[in-house]
Amino acid sequence: MTPPLTLTSSRRPDGVAVLAAAGEIDLSNARTFASALAGAVSDDGPLLVDLTGVEYLDSAGLAALLPHVARIRIVVGELLAPVITIAGLTDITTVDGR
Amino acid sequence: MTAPGTEVFAADPEVGADLAAVDWAATPVGPPDGWPQSLRTAVSILLASRFPMWMAWGPELTFFCNGAYRRDTLGRKYPWALGRPANEVWAEIWGDIGPRIETVLTTGRATWDEALLLFLERSGYQEETYHTFSYSPLRDDDGALVGMLCVVSEDTDRVIGERRMATLRDLGSDPSAVRTEQEMLTFVGGQLGRNLHDLPFTLIYLRDDDGNARLAGSAGIPPGHPAAASAVWPATVLTTGEPVHVAFDGPAFGDLPAGAWPAPPTHAVVAPLLQQGDAPCGFLVAALNRYRPLDDGYRGFIDLVAGYVAAGIASARSYQSQQRRAEELAQLDRAKTAFFSNISHEFRTPLTLIMGPVEELRTRLTDADPQVREELEAIHRNGLRLGKLVNTLLDFSRIEAGRMRTRYRPVDLAATTAELASVFRSAVERAGLTFEVDCRPLPEPVYVDPSMWEKVILNLLSNALKFTFDGGVRVAVAAADGHAVVTVSDSGVGVPEHEIPRLFERFHRIENARARSNEGSGIGLALVKELVDLHGGTIAAESTAGRGTTFTIRLPFGRAHLPAEAVATTAQPTAVSAGVDPFVQEALRWLPDGSDGADEPDGSDGRPASTGAPARILVADDNADMRSYLARLLRSAGHRVTVVPDGQAALEAARADVPDLVVSDVMMPRLDGLQLVAALRGDTRTAGTPVLLLSARAGQEASIEGLEAGADDYLFKPFSAAELLARVRANVELARLRTHHARWRTALVDSLQEAFFVCDDSGAVIEINPTFTEILGYGPEGLPYAPTHPWWPDPRADPDGYRQVADAFGGLLERRRGTDTIPVVHRDGHRLWAALSFNQVDDPETGRFAIVGTFRDVTAERYAVQRDSALAALSLRLSRADNVTDALRGALAELRELWQATSALAVVFDRPTPTVIGTEPGPDWDGLPEAYRRAVAAARERPLLTPVSEPKDGVAITLEHPDGTMVLHVEPRAGRPFTDHDETLLALLAGHLTQGLRRAHQLDRQREIALTLQRAILGPAELPAGFAVRYAPAARPLQVGGDWYDTVELADGRIGIVVGDCVGHGLEAATVMGQLRSACRALLLQNSSPAGTLTALDRFAARLPGAVSATVFCGVLDPASGHLTYSSAGHPPAVVARADGRTDVLDLAQSRPLAIPRRAERPEAEYTVPGRATLVLYTDGLVERRGRSIVDGIGRAADAVQRGRATPVEELATSVMERLTPAEGFHDDVALLLYRHPGPLELEFPAESGQLAVTRTALRGWLSRAGIDRMTAQNVLVAVGEACANAIEHGHRHTAGNIRLSASATADDLRLTVADSGRWKIPENEGNTHRGRGILLMRAMMHQISITKGAAGTTVDMRARIT
Repeated sequence: MTPPLTLTSSRRPDGVAVLAAAGEIDLSNARTFASALAGAVSDDGPLLVDLTGVEYLDSAGLAALLPHVARIRIVVGELLAPVITIAGLTDITTVDGR
Repeated sequence: MTAPGTEVFAADPEVGADLAAVDWAATPVGPPDGWPQSLRTAVSILLASRFPMWMAWGPELTFFCNGAYRRDTLGRKYPWALGRPANEVWAEIWGDIGPRIETVLTTGRATWDEALLLFLERSGYQEETYHTFSYSPLRDDDGALVGMLCVVSEDTDRVIGERRMATLRDLGSDPSAVRTEQEMLTFVGGQLGRNLHDLPFTLIYLRDDDGNARLAGSAGIPPGHPAAASAVWPATVLTTGEPVHVAFDGPAFGDLPAGAWPAPPTHAVVAPLLQQGDAPCGFLVAALNRYRPLDDGYRGFIDLVAGYVAAGIASARSYQSQQRRAEELAQLDRAKTAFFSNISHEFRTPLTLIMGPVEELRTRLTDADPQVREELEAIHRNGLRLGKLVNTLLDFSRIEAGRMRTRYRPVDLAATTAELASVFRSAVERAGLTFEVDCRPLPEPVYVDPSMWEKVILNLLSNALKFTFDGGVRVAVAAADGHAVVTVSDSGVGVPEHEIPRLFERFHRIENARARSNEGSGIGLALVKELVDLHGGTIAAESTAGRGTTFTIRLPFGRAHLPAEAVATTAQPTAVSAGVDPFVQEALRWLPDGSDGADEPDGSDGRPASTGAPARILVADDNADMRSYLARLLRSAGHRVTVVPDGQAALEAARADVPDLVVSDVMMPRLDGLQLVAALRGDTRTAGTPVLLLSARAGQEASIEGLEAGADDYLFKPFSAAELLARVRANVELARLRTHHARWRTALVDSLQEAFFVCDDSGAVIEINPTFTEILGYGPEGLPYAPTHPWWPDPRADPDGYRQVADAFGGLLERRRGTDTIPVVHRDGHRLWAALSFNQVDDPETGRFAIVGTFRDVTAERYAVQRDSALAALSLRLSRADNVTDALRGALAELRELWQATSALAVVFDRPTPTVIGTEPGPDWDGLPEAYRRAVAAARERPLLTPVSEPKDGVAITLEHPDGTMVLHVEPRAGRPFTDHDETLLALLAGHLTQGLRRAHQLDRQREIALTLQRAILGPAELPAGFAVRYAPAARPLQVGGDWYDTVELADGRIGIVVGDCVGHGLEAATVMGQLRSACRALLLQNSSPAGTLTALDRFAARLPGAVSATVFCGVLDPASGHLTYSSAGHPPAVVARADGRTDVLDLAQSRPLAIPRRAERPEAEYTVPGRATLVLYTDGLVERRGRSIVDGIGRAADAVQRGRATPVEELATSVMERLTPAEGFHDDVALLLYRHPGPLELEFPAESGQLAVTRTALRGWLSRAGIDRMTAQNVLVAVGEACANAIEHGHRHTAGNIRLSASATADDLRLTVADSGRWKIPENEGNTHRGRGILLMRAMMHQISITKGAAGTTVDMRARIT
């Protein structure tokens, strides 16, 4: 069984590309997440990866994010903050305090 | 009132006024206004002068004087004398002065008189005065001689002072230092007689021995004069010591001599003759000069005279007594010299008469019986010795008296000295010393008296040998600085530095010097010095204590220093004289040679005993002849004699074998007689042995010294044989009488059937009886036996036995009395048991204590007891055993202990490969040594219950085991002999064991059945997760009781929980319990309400005998939510220990015990167990304590659970039981049931990534039940997720498999385990990427993490602390 994961690609009114994920990202679906990331990242401008809807992110998910750190910004909920901190991604990450 | 012309008197207002008052007109000089100028001038000069003057003028020599004359001389005649004729004024002395004045007036020449004695009556009496004066002529205006002027000075004090001083000086000018009293008194009398002015006469009285005064001297008065009788003088002066002034009044003073005066004295002073620190020794009567007052000066003079006389008498007396003493000493000395001289001569005569015939007998009796020869030799040797002594004394007295006849001859000193030395060679070498003679030829002969020189050298050599024990003696002759230098050196004991100055002093002996003999008179070296002095030589000694002594003699060459008449110029052939023999003989007797009677037969061997019972006598004397003589004498009286050469040897001999009597010399080397006595008295074994001291030192002091030291008797040399024997007999008999009770005691002790011994306070055995020797083999010859005693077991071979004896021995010294049974070893090595009893006894004399003990050989009894106790111990072991193997193990342990065995094994031939059972886990059959297996297999073939003992292999015995034949093998510890007793005992025990095993086997089977049944009724075999239980029945060996617990898994996933307690315990209660439990279980399954269940159970219990009043706590728990519904039938409330440390007591549904009729419905309450809290159910056995409230007990139980809330629930159950178990064990059955919420999560899932989400969901739910907050839960999820991902990616990358996840909670932490069955193979290139990051995440999220990789898989253990 694969955990629920919804990936939505959009562009904000200000033109910033957004990839929003919701659900859980683990070893079983990290590839899906990685492909979505690869598709959404472009040289035109930074991609905002919105992980506020993600309840679980493991090292496989982090591994999908890492190749793109130069071109992405990340938004996470409180629950994911420790993982992001340990992965050293704090400088490109905003913790959404909702 | 001033008359005309009186201005002439103005120079002295006082005398002038008186002069003016004179009726000059009535005198031939007429009124002053008519005086010629010459008179006026003379008068004015007179009055102006301060010097005493008077003048006479005119035909009548009219008297004038000035103030100074008036004061010093005229006295009472002023002013009467003024203007009177001079012959009237000085009528009393006109005879003296008139002619002088006449001469002046006729010749015109002045006169001069010095210190002229004049008896003036100016003070109311005739007074002795002295004046020095000059008369000078006075002329008138015409130059005619008309008067004279006298200038006077009075000398009375000076003259009398000088006179007295002269007397005192003369008294002190006695030219001889001291004399006799009479001479002194005569001298004093003579001196005092020369001053009859101050002392007209004197009398000296001395107090005689009766205290009466006796006239001893006089001056100026005949001794027969009545006034010389002592009675006329006040004798009080002798007692008061104060001078008395006496007036001559009475007939005795009728016709006294006048001394130097015309009239006799009228008074006297009686002055005491004072002695320092004593009453006056007499008194001095000094008649007084009647012409002088008794003033301080006069008194002082008399005191000094008396003092001189007293001092003179004292010194004369002291001189006399010294003189007397010196003369007495000189007399004594002369007498002594004469005595020595005479006695020496007197000795020589009988000595000659002895020695002659002895020599004769020696030659004639060459074939006589050896004893006669020996005695003759003794006489001869001692005759020589005495002769030598006498000759030395004679030499001395000759030197003393100056009668030494010397004949100095020129001698080759080197050769002579070498020859003399050679005669000592054999003696020196026999003493084991080296002897070096280095006598180099001298350039010229030396003048010596050969016989004297011989004495010098022999004395020095004899001295060297006497004090040298190691090393050697050296004699050397050489020339140096015009002298012949002879040295005699030894490496002997030396002389302490402070003794060297006295070395050559006559009769001086160095005390305590170690010597070959104590014989000697202390005159040898003194004689040597005298003799060397006679040769004009010198002798010096150099010595270092312990290193040796060197004597150096220096003799001048030539003969100038010798008296010519004693020098012979002709040489005489030198030959060693007969004088050397005594020296050598004496020296040889100092050396050990055995012939001192030591090996002669005792009188008891055939010779008749003369008197009394024969005694064992120890003789100690350093003189071999004396030893031998004493031995012969005492043996002749039938005594058994042992002889030793000194005190030390005597002490050793006496300690080895206590004699009846010790006869000892006083002066001996090593240990002298007095020290020997002290040492014997200090040793309990010899303290009572009588000692008879022999001494050459006669006198009361010597014997008192000996008796004080503790000697019983004292005998002076020489003594007669009869006297010695009588004293010996008396002392032996006295000692026997004295020791009568001791001997009685000894006889009593010796006859005891028990071994008897006495220990001193150090624990040394000092006395034993024959039974002692019989039991232990150690006899009295080895006494004392100091601890550790030889009969103690060997500490290595038998440490237990050794310790037992050591303990008993400790008790012996510390306790007043006691008994003990101890293992001891006979002298021949066999071991035995002794039952010991002892008592401490105080010795009132020494204040020390001794231990008196007895013991019996109880070896046989001991073995009987050992057998009984071994059987009892084995029976006990067997009865306690739960099964056959336990029984066997217990038996083996018993056997091993019994024989202190290194091993005890049982081999049961129940299968093709026998089973080996030991006291502890060991090798199986195949692991045993080959030889051992063979020995055991061989033993198996032997008849049953017959021990086979092999010296090296221990002992084996075969018996029946329920499963087959069994061989029991015991290997006693090395050195522990396996005796017949032991074999018998082993057979007995083996028989017993056979029965025991059979019984245990039957019991085993019964017990197995019982246990199966018991377990069946006790509770569920498996508990739901999260539960832990403990059960402790009060009655053993049952494993069930009246209490129970139960968990029932209900259909809806909930769990029924029951803890109950039937009345009573033991089997009966257990059967009731079993039924109640089953009923309750069935009811719960039907009716999931606790109250309903209990209500139904009430009805069941009412019909079941013994079930009434049982208490039950019944609950239904939802493990998912922790929700609990409960009801209690009289049961103690459940308790919940929460993670936050608080405690909840579930007492809201309490009601009556089972089957107690009531109408009320059973209540029911609800409770939700919080996450990580622990629910505790128990029976009252856990919390009830006698005398304490059950509420306290519940509190204690809750506390115990709280303390362990951070430990897993299984550990918690153990710690609660440990904490609450009373020291003496539980009195009642105890059941304890714990539940920690939530119960642990256990998941097993395939190692696929797709399982991760499901697993996460389950874990998330469990974490929520455990009350974990969202963030912590997220961390746990990530860490566990990573661990699982690792297991999937690495553990099972290539192989399928499962992953197991378990999670459990305590109050403070979560414990999570992820285990797979694969091996993690982390590729190098990926190690640092996301898998590495996974581990990083795990570590960051968890407080503790450990990864264990093994063959069976990898396990990750994680802990998260909950804050």
